[in-house]
This record gives sequence, structure tokens and C-alpha cells, in this order.
Amino acid sequence: MTGRIRNPWVVVAAYNEAPVVGSVVSGIRRAGYAVIVVDDGSADRTGDVALLAGGVVVRHPINLGQGAALQTGIDFALEQHADALVTFDADGQHSPAAIAALLAAIEQPGIDFALGSRFLAGATANLPVLRRILLGAAIRFTRASTGLPVTDTHNGLRAMTARGARAISLRQNRMAHASEILHQIAQSRLRFVEVPVNIEYSAYSLGKGQRITDALTILIDLFARRLYR
Amino acid sequence: MIAQLFLTVLLALVLVYAWSAHRTVPIIGLFASGAALAGLYFVWVPEHATELAAFAGIGRGSDLIVYTWVVISLLIMLHLHLKLRLQLDMITRLTRAVAIDRAKESRREAGRPRERRPVTLARKAEAPPIELQAKK
Repeated sequence: MTGRIRNPWVVVAAYNEAPVVGSVVSGIRRAGYAVIVVDDGSADRTGDVALLAGGVVVRHPINLGQGAALQTGIDFALEQHADALVTFDADGQHSPAAIAALLAAIEQPGIDFALGSRFLAGATANLPVLRRILLGAAIRFTRASTGLPVTDTHNGLRAMTARGARAISLRQNRMAHASEILHQIAQSRLRFVEVPVNIEYSAYSLGKGQRITDALTILIDLFARRLYR
Repeated sequence: MIAQLFLTVLLALVLVYAWSAHRTVPIIGLFASGAALAGLYFVWVPEHATELAAFAGIGRGSDLIVYTWVVISLLIMLHLHLKLRLQLDMITRLTRAVAIDRAKESRREAGRPRERRPVTLARKAEAPPIELQAKK
């Protein structure tokens, strides 16, 4: 590593991803980064495959959701004295080449978060029209509710400094965590930049991805979370 | 009179419930208190319930009391739902602590050099006799 970042960790939350997690982890390892795979109570051999591929595996005894798994990975990385963290999807739609760009962005003084955006200059491949419309609505909702001028939301590719990671405390266990992170970034008043990234949608990743009904669940989760302490 | 006393006891219990809910879910405590107090008022001053019901287009005052009770029931259901979410929060924290502890333990074990037992092909040398007498 050059610059300020000496000990970056990549956090991958995985649930029943045995067919692809091995290649994802080995790709990140080849790029030169330490990887934590949080096996979120998978019923298949996700954890074992990730371990064989060179990841450090933290296993949830039960399935809690992607948000909970990411927070576990963040906590574990901070205990390993990570000075930067990158969150990365387990389904193979992210490229390890993007990690360097995200880390370079948070090496700038005063920047604590780098958020991957598939709608900046990145050529996102095979994004279905319906999902594009849904994401457009989610972006408008996020801008209105957080005040952050983001161009993408619910993109799992992001980097943060250790200071930024300590400012994040995810309580949305499932998909709403992506909106919660943006809310907490806004509340922390820490600075962020957006970095163009490519997302490679495959039949596998689309099959594992969110559905339209998930958008309603996310809205209910976000609303319910505001009702209790 | 018996119905009034019965409803008063029930609504007083709802008030106690609302007070306990107020600590964890303030909005539920507030609404449930409001609904229970309104219920108590209408139980003892039914003429006002009838007037308010007529104003709201409900019809009879007793219907208004039933509707108030339905609102209280819905609020209690919402409170239970939020309590379940709080329980899930606690389960999440517990699961996370267990997962991280186990991972740290397995990393420690992986980093520790394995203890090897010395392989003895020949018969062990006899141990020297233990000196039982205390040295003077």
C-alpha cells in the first residue's frame, strides 16, 4: 500500500454463495487484500469454500441478514486494527479492480467514505430496465430523506476509513442497511465521495438480487426503526 | 354501571401498559395513553361520546367507544411487533459476539504452533526415585 492506508480489509457478507464465493475471495486475495467473509448462517459450504480460497471466515450461527453480517465484518476488521474497510458483494458482480479506486478516494484528506456508483461513468452491464426504474425511485427517496446528493443507492461496493466505520452502527439487519448507512453518513457529517464502478450483472447475481416487493419491506423497516429506541 | 366499572378497570390496565411502553416506544405510549384516557372519559360521560360520534358521523356513542377500543388493540399489536424487533436486535448482538469470539479463537489456534508428542521408539528411561525426605 502507498499513502496513509496500511491495513485495509475487504468485508464480504455471504449467504448460500458456495458456487461463487471461492472465486470472489481468491480474486480479492490476488489483488492483495485481506478478506473477511461473514458466513451468515449458510446451509451450504459457503464458509468452507471461502476459507479454502484464503478468506478469514466469521460464521453467524443463524441467518440474520446482509446488514447484520456487514456490521459483524466491520466489527471484526476494526478489532484486527484495520485502518480502511471495503464492503464487497459475494455474488460476483463486483470487480476487485474497483477496490484500489475506492481506497484511493478515501486517502484524500478529510474523506471518510467512498461510495461506489454504477451511474457515474461506469458502464454497468445487463442492468434490467425494471431494476433501473426501481433504483431511480430509491435514489430520489434517499436524496429527499438524507439530503445527500448521491447518484446511486443500494450499491454494496463502498470503502470507509476506520473513523468512518466507527461512525456506522447498522441496526437494519436486512436490505434496508444500505439506506441506513447513507442516513448515518449524513448524521455523522463525515465527508464522502462517489467513485464510478462497474457492476457486472449475471444470471446468478440477478437471481440472488432484490425483488420489487423488497422495496416495500425496506420502507417498512426504515419506518419501524424510527419508532423505537 | 357494571359495564362502566368493567371498562374502567380494563382502560386503567391499558394506561399502565402505555406507561410501561413509553420507555421503549414513546409514540405507542403516547397514543395508547391518549386513547385510554379518551375511552375513560367517554365511558363516564357517554353524552359527550354521542355528541362527538354524531359530529364525526359514526352514529352512536357506544360505537365510538368500540372504535376507540379497536384503535387501542391496534396500537398494542404495533407495540408487540416493535418489541419483537427489539428482541431481534438483542439476538443479533448475541450472535455477533459469539461469531467474532469463535473466529478469534480459531485464528489463535491456527497461529499457534502445534504441540508434538515426542515419539519414543525405545523403552522410556526409568525415572529417578523421588526424593521424599525433605532437605534439611
